[in-house]
Amino acid sequence: MTALRAASVRHLLRHPAQLALALVGLALGVGTIVAVDIATASARRAFELSLGAVNGAATHQIVGGPGGIDERLYVRLRTALGEASEPRARLAPVVEGYVTAGGRVMELVGVDPFASAGLEGGGRADRPAPFGLEGPEQARAWFTWPGAVLMSAGAARALGVTAGGGFELEVGGVPHRATLIAPLPGTGAGLDTVILTDIAQAQEWLQAGPRLSRIDVRLPPGTAGGPLERALAGLLPADLTLRSTRAASRETLAMTDAFTTNLKAMSLLALLVGTLLIYGAVSFAVLQRRPIIGVLRALGATRREVLVLVLGEAAVLGLAGAACGVLLGLAIGRGLVGLVSRTINDLYFVVAVNEVSVPAGTVLAALAAGLATALVAALLPALEVAGSAPQLGLARSVLEGRAARAARRLALASLLLALGAGLTVALSRRSLFAGFAALFMLLIAVAAVTPAVLRLLAQAAARLSAGVSPVARLACADVGASLSRTGVAIAALGMALAAMIGVGIMVESFRESLREWLVQTMRADVYVTAPGVAEGLERRIEPEVMRAILALPGIRVHSEGRRVTVTSPLGPVDLNALSLAPPSYAGFRFTAGDPARAWSGFAHGAILVSEPLAWRLSLEPASSLTLITAQGAHAFTVAGVYREYGNDRGEVLIDLHEYRRWWHDDGVAGLGLYLAPGVSDSQLIAAVRGAAGSRQALLIRSNASIRELSMRIFERTFVITRVLYWLAAGVAAVGLLSALLAWELERARELALLRTLGLTPRGTAALVLAQTVFMGVVALLAAIPAGLLTALTLTEVINRRAFGWRIDLHLAPAQFSNALWLALAAALAAGVYPAWRSARAALASGLREE
Amino acid sequence: MLIIRQLSRSFREGARVHRVLDGLEAEVRPGERVAIMGRSGSGKSTLLNLISGIDEPDGGTVEIDGVAVSGLGEPARTLFRRAHVGFVYQFFNLIPTLDVAENVRLVLELNGARGAAARARSLAALESVGLASRAHSAVDQLSGGEQQRVAIARALVHEPGLLLADEPTGNLDDATAREILPVLLSMTRARGTTLVMVTHDEALAATADRVLELREGRLHARTAVQSGAGP
Repeated sequence: MTALRAASVRHLLRHPAQLALALVGLALGVGTIVAVDIATASARRAFELSLGAVNGAATHQIVGGPGGIDERLYVRLRTALGEASEPRARLAPVVEGYVTAGGRVMELVGVDPFASAGLEGGGRADRPAPFGLEGPEQARAWFTWPGAVLMSAGAARALGVTAGGGFELEVGGVPHRATLIAPLPGTGAGLDTVILTDIAQAQEWLQAGPRLSRIDVRLPPGTAGGPLERALAGLLPADLTLRSTRAASRETLAMTDAFTTNLKAMSLLALLVGTLLIYGAVSFAVLQRRPIIGVLRALGATRREVLVLVLGEAAVLGLAGAACGVLLGLAIGRGLVGLVSRTINDLYFVVAVNEVSVPAGTVLAALAAGLATALVAALLPALEVAGSAPQLGLARSVLEGRAARAARRLALASLLLALGAGLTVALSRRSLFAGFAALFMLLIAVAAVTPAVLRLLAQAAARLSAGVSPVARLACADVGASLSRTGVAIAALGMALAAMIGVGIMVESFRESLREWLVQTMRADVYVTAPGVAEGLERRIEPEVMRAILALPGIRVHSEGRRVTVTSPLGPVDLNALSLAPPSYAGFRFTAGDPARAWSGFAHGAILVSEPLAWRLSLEPASSLTLITAQGAHAFTVAGVYREYGNDRGEVLIDLHEYRRWWHDDGVAGLGLYLAPGVSDSQLIAAVRGAAGSRQALLIRSNASIRELSMRIFERTFVITRVLYWLAAGVAAVGLLSALLAWELERARELALLRTLGLTPRGTAALVLAQTVFMGVVALLAAIPAGLLTALTLTEVINRRAFGWRIDLHLAPAQFSNALWLALAAALAAGVYPAWRSARAALASGLREE
Repeated sequence: MLIIRQLSRSFREGARVHRVLDGLEAEVRPGERVAIMGRSGSGKSTLLNLISGIDEPDGGTVEIDGVAVSGLGEPARTLFRRAHVGFVYQFFNLIPTLDVAENVRLVLELNGARGAAARARSLAALESVGLASRAHSAVDQLSGGEQQRVAIARALVHEPGLLLADEPTGNLDDATAREILPVLLSMTRARGTTLVMVTHDEALAATADRVLELREGRLHARTAVQSGAGP
């Protein structure tokens, strides 16, 4: 190692605490990004595995509306294709739906094992055809055992079932008996949320009649988009569509796009805070060595050599921090996987993440991000020190003068950034990326203005305290005159606090808006629903059970509803078909369209769309939305747009009678019951339970309990956001700790001098603590207005552009308390050790220190 | 040969301008030893910084062995300095994170010398200042005199034509200064190095071939010990 590099390395090693804190800051930033990437990639991979596990060789799917596909079509298609010359398309029918087994929601998939094996093109070596049925015994069991099913060994273990064993599964609350033939061989990757059964069995359990959910198609390689695909599409009735499996899985995964984008933005925030910390650490290391670098320059080290030296240090620091960050990210990622998959299960689709995927690209990107972050952060101090004249013993006052000038310039830059953020929002109408860019510009603006605020307030405090005590004046003046040491750390803390306040207000505003929306929307007193996944077709209240319930004397009026997913040229659309009771109309708050005209249109076949759908598909009153009905494509007129927080993909509201007319589905999945006078909700719940008896296990909830459940799901959804913002705050706290610790330790001589002049040990400790707390409070003061702007950006821009809904801003003092506690805790933690050290330091040695 | 013509340098402090050097002229022959004296703040250190190219003049030229240093840009000025100029400072300015030998070797490495050859030359330089046995000591374990001897070894290890010394005994007691002086003089003499030293120390100044006094921005001959050039 050359002497120049040795000097550099040894300097870093001589300041282990400073080095460690900088590494921790960067590692936390990089670790958060890695963790989010791992969690979302793992959920995505699990979803893809589950898609590939059943008919993974399919290239296309034939899908229909909520009524499914007449199974005779499958026969007709096979016959038609069988007559065609090679190459031929291969088909496999599928019936699927959601069931509950052992308290877990699982996907029931009915297949024709021979057709599915045929889809594989004669069977694949790694999957014994058909579908893991090993030998004639199992094949016989598949067709002859009542309720015969297959599932992965993991799923069997989770349900406590062994080969030949029986268990109960519920379809829409109706219990059925199933028997496990045998656990599937191998890992059964992707099948942990799947129960496989024969197609006829699935039709029976799901009450699908002679209908199929979809037909999987495998087109021979190289024929996609060609005459064969066109011929197949030409054989389909108007209500069915042929689409590629890739497009279908993309559509499903796209549902989580806004969710994962938000997660990534939060993790980027942690890295941004980490960047400032690295900047602080490198500029402090440069500052400490300015005299040495002056000597090096005088001895003949060129500017380039000094630049390379400082950037080289930063690169090593960046790579080491990123490597630690990757390891940390792996650890945090494992924890985050559970939270992410739970949110996806709550909001989007059923997925079980058993394996943590660590994409190689993530690790490389994290290392590159760590390196780039460190280099970008180090560039300014490196250029500054390399560009300055090699004068020795540059006066501290000169340095602080420069820092003060820089603070003034940064305050101006902050103003420009804030204006830039406003312009970015104004000029970009829908871009979520631009929204996040504006948000980050705003946060950087906070960081940029904080040193100037610190200086101004410190000078003002010094003037005010001059008459009180010279020590108090010294404490304040010292803070204002040490921007070169403390400015960056305070800026990082200010930015993290602003983000914390902003996110806190956004979450609270969302919570309040949701609570108000629930109060307004949930008008009925008791809700009865068939259990299962929201848009699952199998969710239907048995007609007999429904008749018995509606005959109960305690019901004044009732609403009926059916939720399904239908296809449209723009992708799948969730449809909420309702027959509303008179009091239920008041539960809708229109954000576009006249309510009276909207309801009139609704009664005559027009649709209402929720805010998220209106935003996503650019719909407004009088525009139209084409949906694929059982009678083919039909353009429905939009009569109004209403507020809705229950579904971030958005939904279409249609009159139940109109739905039945267009889709030929007379199922009802939920009832909203209004109490007759003198009847309590608990009495009605008991009566409904009695009416359903053992025929169907329905979910019967009071208005209050359903609101409580909704709020619980909301809280679970925001757990990840909270985890991430605490990580970002943690990074900032570490940065403050690092900078203040270094600053205070550097002042050991000055503090020793104060001791010799008569300041008591307790007085010295109080002085140090007062200074660090002062800085924490200043960071908070700078962060409060910025936090409010951040909250506005998050609610009015980010949420609007990501999900399409508007949130009413709710402010409460409690939203600022987390930021206050963080500022105080970080400042106190940063001050305690130097305070203790300065109070106990031996004066003679302290004075000797240079 | 060091030739300085019409050298000027001012510093601004708020609205006031301090004219530190004002049309300074000087010539120093190869191998000559020149002491520069003057009151604090007269511009002695500024002059050394301008000669070495650490600082840039407002006007005038500095020429060392036919090279107009003041006309060079970066990094040519730095590359010239590290090859042809040595520095000894009042406060030693050793790198605290390097040991004694590494401090000396640093200059060789900056000039492209590496490995065993660089190690041997740095040890030889330490030998000549009597510190070979402390080669691997940390610099903060050395006394002031020893640190200055390391600084002299570092300044001369790459055999520069010009050695600039800024108060080389200013931070040492008399006894230590008396030890350092012969080392500095014998080493420059042995290598034929031109020596320009700034000092307040009359004893040190007395060892020079010429003593110049910096006054009102210009150099004035004070004592001509031997024949010498100068204004």
